[in-house]
Amino acid sequence: MENIIEIKGLKKSYGSFEAVKDVTFNVKKGEIFGFLGPNGAGKCTTISMLSTMRKPSSGLALINGFDIAKEKDQVRQSIGIIFQENTLDEKLTAYENLILHCQLYHVDKNVREERISEVLEMVDLTDKKDKIVKTFSGGMKRRLEIARGLLHYPKVIFLDEPTVGLDPQTREHIWQYILKLKEEAGITVFLTTHYMDEAEHCDRIAIIDDGRIISMDTPEGLKNGLGGDLMELSTENNTKSVEIIKERYHKEPKIKDGTIVFHVDKGNEFLVDFVKSFEIPINSINLRRPTLNDVFLNLTGREIREDTQAKKEFVETSKKKENR
Amino acid sequence: MEAILSIWKRDVIKSIRDKASLIGNLALPILLLIIFGSGMGGAIKFMTERAGIGNALSEFNFTKFMFPGVVGITIFSTAVISALTVVQDREFGYLREMLVSPIPRGSISLGKVLGGSTAAVIQGLIILVLSPLIGISLNFTMILKLIPAMLILAFTVSSLSLYVATFVKSSQGFHTALTMLILPMIFLSGSIFPLTGSPAWMEFLVKINPVTYGVDMFKKILLGSQEMPKIVQDVMGLNLSVFGYSFTEYTDFVLVLAIGILLLFLATGRMKKVEA
Repeated sequence: MENIIEIKGLKKSYGSFEAVKDVTFNVKKGEIFGFLGPNGAGKCTTISMLSTMRKPSSGLALINGFDIAKEKDQVRQSIGIIFQENTLDEKLTAYENLILHCQLYHVDKNVREERISEVLEMVDLTDKKDKIVKTFSGGMKRRLEIARGLLHYPKVIFLDEPTVGLDPQTREHIWQYILKLKEEAGITVFLTTHYMDEAEHCDRIAIIDDGRIISMDTPEGLKNGLGGDLMELSTENNTKSVEIIKERYHKEPKIKDGTIVFHVDKGNEFLVDFVKSFEIPINSINLRRPTLNDVFLNLTGREIREDTQAKKEFVETSKKKENR
Repeated sequence: MEAILSIWKRDVIKSIRDKASLIGNLALPILLLIIFGSGMGGAIKFMTERAGIGNALSEFNFTKFMFPGVVGITIFSTAVISALTVVQDREFGYLREMLVSPIPRGSISLGKVLGGSTAAVIQGLIILVLSPLIGISLNFTMILKLIPAMLILAFTVSSLSLYVATFVKSSQGFHTALTMLILPMIFLSGSIFPLTGSPAWMEFLVKINPVTYGVDMFKKILLGSQEMPKIVQDVMGLNLSVFGYSFTEYTDFVLVLAIGILLLFLATGRMKKVEA
């Protein structure tokens, strides 16, 4: 399949601080490509560079065949961006926001009305067309932004943390729209997220940490890379159990918060034999498929801290509301 | 071209929808005209009569003298905060939507400046309605001259406002920066009191203030000051001249426009560096 985004040795530094250190990858036409990593890993900086908002310190990136540093206008015409924070004009109506976008992106006058109806239909906001955006809920604003980003029929759409700060139900809805984009419009979707469950929707994921891509594969591929299933158990004597597991099963168990964790192939078969023959009394045992969080943990030794992040965002959004 | 128009239209729609500030912006000029104008006018009249020169200055009416200045202040005070929309667009994210679109930065600044100018001219036109109350009778030619005059002052001040806005990141910062500009520019423009017999340093500041030439233009159009008796012109500082050159309404116009274009270029240069 053809590459729609090609990135070679992209770097961005601010003074002596390197936000993005030598990133190289390609995105194929029509895929949903996820950029997964904790905050401050360089996701935002990379997206800013790809969307021509920031100039790369070095390296090359082509979108739809255009150089992001030299052919900014062509790149801007080829992409749609939905930023992390709201960029709608809340004092205008939904329709006014959309028509303005058409004017800024030189959408042909004859097709404007048609496209506006089309995108509003897609995100179920047709009946809100002439309402002032300020009266919209968070989810409606997000949907309107996605609709707006599609008006000029971009080849690639960038979604920077598309569901941050939304409730689970709305997040699910937004994802339905994103999947619809790919299927119906054939648009390449490039998104960043730190929600592990969302990354599962992607065709391919690049895991980024500390300005570098540390792994890139399909979600299945990444999880399989860990070696099968995940066993979690706690026993009367964890230290002794670890030794036995090492010797008898040749695994490398780790103890985390009083739980022994190790990987096994074909976990369900292994579990039965294990419980039958293990001599130390078992308090609890759990077998599960690895998640992307486990992948991240395994690669970096850290978890993506969703809780603290969510809290921080809550504080930030409430601050923003107060300012208004 | 269409992009400039649509950015302009957005700001005009929003300023018309914002009825509160449309009315609020008129408060200062009206207060100045009624309270300051009447009070100061009375005092001056009393002084000239006691000094025995009342006859020579019989044609002089302070409130009338102040009116062109008040038109200038109205235009100035609306235009100078016009780039607040840019700062707010930056705070609320909309600036990003504009900056990632494939339109030139120059179109964004020009659209913004024209939007601010239009809002200011609308305010200026509302103030003009008061002119019969002051004893100034407007005729068609005057209005025909006033509209471009107001537009050009508004354009220059809006460009200045945009230039300032590119340096600040928050509304508070913008207000702070403007506080240092607003009062000096109003006081040193000959809009509220005649700048006759002022010290040299002050005269220098007056002559580098673009608002001075805007107000001078309004005085010439509204008062017909060039036809007034020489003594009234002298006393009220109605003959603005730099290095011996006396300005006419046309040269005022050209100078204000030139300063405006310069400021717009500076602001656009700054816009190119803005990373929202």
